[in-house]
Amino acid sequence: MTINVLLAIFAGILVGVSRQLNGRLSLSTSPLVASFWNHIVGFTALTVLGLAIGGLVPEGPRNVPWFDYIGGPIGVVFVAAGSWLLLRIGAANTALLIVGGQMVSGVLLDWFLADSFSPAPSAIGVALILGGMALMHKRA
Amino acid sequence: MNSDRPMKLMDLLAAFAAGGLLTLMVHFNGELGRYGGALFSSWTAHGTGTIAALIFILILRSRWRAEGNIGLAIPWWAYLGGLSGALTVMVTTSAVNSPLALSGTLALGLGGQVVFSLAADHWGLFGMPKRRPSLRDLCALGLVMAGSAVIILFGLG
Repeated sequence: MTINVLLAIFAGILVGVSRQLNGRLSLSTSPLVASFWNHIVGFTALTVLGLAIGGLVPEGPRNVPWFDYIGGPIGVVFVAAGSWLLLRIGAANTALLIVGGQMVSGVLLDWFLADSFSPAPSAIGVALILGGMALMHKRA
Repeated sequence: MNSDRPMKLMDLLAAFAAGGLLTLMVHFNGELGRYGGALFSSWTAHGTGTIAALIFILILRSRWRAEGNIGLAIPWWAYLGGLSGALTVMVTTSAVNSPLALSGTLALGLGGQVVFSLAADHWGLFGMPKRRPSLRDLCALGLVMAGSAVIILFGLG
């Protein structure tokens, strides 16, 4: 269990490291070009890993509806946006606002899609996040 | 966190919208994962993403090198963001399939990300500018973290 707790925290740190590295690259290039390198380097690494351990192209994907492949292009815009934001508002603001947007939109998605949805805690959570964002924006 | 300059509404909304994109991305990649597993999902997303990035760069005529001195000096490690991202998928998959489940993994990951970002701002990690949060920034941080924790731990199912 301890190892999994550490892994989960490590995953969060990796997200931050990735954003910091892409931000540095975009400083010397542009956010979109940095996003291109991010994807081609990740693709190469995963190809090597997949060839080593197998299971890169399983049987299931023949039935995948075409729109499920849209995650990749969305990711390109997301990574570029992260670099762009990092240069403008810093790492902590970027991380917090993206998390806030992810949580609120996740609640909306769950509301429409999920079978089990708890409205009360979600509403309290959304209110706290929006309050934090208002505090960030409004300055004395 | 920049206490020198008020945050523009556009930055705030752009970052919030980026979080919305993340939700969509995770959703679609999760659907891919249901058919072919986490490795297939991440591999495919990086492949289609590479092609999409090239198309976006051509359409928007995005520059490959920034102008001035900064455009010439690219440290080799600045290209490794994709490696960190690919590793994230593997690490997350392992944690989600443990007793932590999705909510525990998300909550701990959020903590790791925020603490790292504060450190990154404080020391200007990986060649980025240093920033000091104001008290107001820290209060905002606390509110967003608390709201996210409530949603992750009590709102998901």
